[in-house]
Amino acid sequence: MLDMVLTTGLMHLTVGNLIMWVIGFFFIYLAITKSYEPLLLVPIGFGILMVNLPLTFLMEEGEGLLWRFYHYGLEWEIIPPLIFLGLGALTDFGPMIANPKTLILGAGAQFGVYVAFFGALILGFDIPEACSIGIIGGADGPTTIYTTVHLAPHLLGATAVAAYSYMSLVPIIQPPIMRLLTTEKERRIKMRQLRPVSKRERILFPLVTVLVICLIVPASAPLMAMFMLGNLFKECGVVKRLSDAAANELMNIVTIFLGISVGATMSAERFLKPEVILVFVMGLMAFAFSTAAGILLAKFMNIFTRRKINPLIGSAGVSAVPMAARVSQVMGSKADPKNFLLMHAMGPNVAGVIGTVVAAGVFIALAG
Amino acid sequence: MIDWDLALKIFTFGLSAVFGSLAILIGAIYAFGKIINRIEKKGE
Repeated sequence: MLDMVLTTGLMHLTVGNLIMWVIGFFFIYLAITKSYEPLLLVPIGFGILMVNLPLTFLMEEGEGLLWRFYHYGLEWEIIPPLIFLGLGALTDFGPMIANPKTLILGAGAQFGVYVAFFGALILGFDIPEACSIGIIGGADGPTTIYTTVHLAPHLLGATAVAAYSYMSLVPIIQPPIMRLLTTEKERRIKMRQLRPVSKRERILFPLVTVLVICLIVPASAPLMAMFMLGNLFKECGVVKRLSDAAANELMNIVTIFLGISVGATMSAERFLKPEVILVFVMGLMAFAFSTAAGILLAKFMNIFTRRKINPLIGSAGVSAVPMAARVSQVMGSKADPKNFLLMHAMGPNVAGVIGTVVAAGVFIALAG
Repeated sequence: MIDWDLALKIFTFGLSAVFGSLAILIGAIYAFGKIINRIEKKGE
């Protein structure tokens, strides 16, 4: 009888397992009741529950089901590039092509990545770990996961959850920083309507971008190539089936495996460590500095440019597409209800994705 | 022990790569935009 009881998981439950269950349930609760990144938090939360069930050996190397998802999906670098394929098929680069200056704002908003990188080093993390923490500031989940799997896989659960948490909290984190760094007059700046972008320009953009970026930072090629391939599917207009598949079915399928795999890395012994709290603190700092840098760079650009940029669109450079652009729109329309910034903010928003991939490529090339 | 030389290298090269690649991309967008405009005007 005792032997039989000992074969149940019940007798092997630890306090750590129970704490992780609470975290898992909390993620599922946030996803369902608050709609915080539900597509990811539901599978992540469930993955946490699964991996913290004793004796199930779901993350047992070479055997466990979740280990296989993690190993072949993330360690083999399959899932993040496929997510980027879908993102490319969903992304409209038109506003950025119409006003290429906004690309600079996407670059400026990467500043927080390096602030958090140095912050993490000072706090005692090693260089690969600091890179994985810093990239949270790019506010790009798949890039954060891709970088962390390369450089500090033991931090994957913490960095991925921090990135997605802060992305969903953009409407709460960014507005106070935006208000602090801009004047009422600046928030009222109206930007000229964007010119129409021809189909030829839209088709050429992914082709040129993949060549430029991958020549400068070859380590960014897996993400950048798939991102631009997805966008080419969308813009060329002759492979609608592929574009639809990449943006819908494929994206949904890989999102399931991404979420479960990330959740599966969050076992009690890996996640319940003081350093995880530091990862969250540094991630928040990265996010805040990236937001501030984007706004300040927009203000700096206004010194030299004839056509003024509303600094509120600078904060959209942190990626978090399209949430950050929506926040710029909301803040702009609060200052002046006739101010429409959404399309202008989409420029730095998608440029931020490219900037984050470049930053990640450099991290992987130099610290990997 | 942190290798601060490597950290500084990552920072300088990283930030330069981000700004440099996006600046080149801006130039490329303006350049192919002009070329396409010319081709489309000729076509008209």
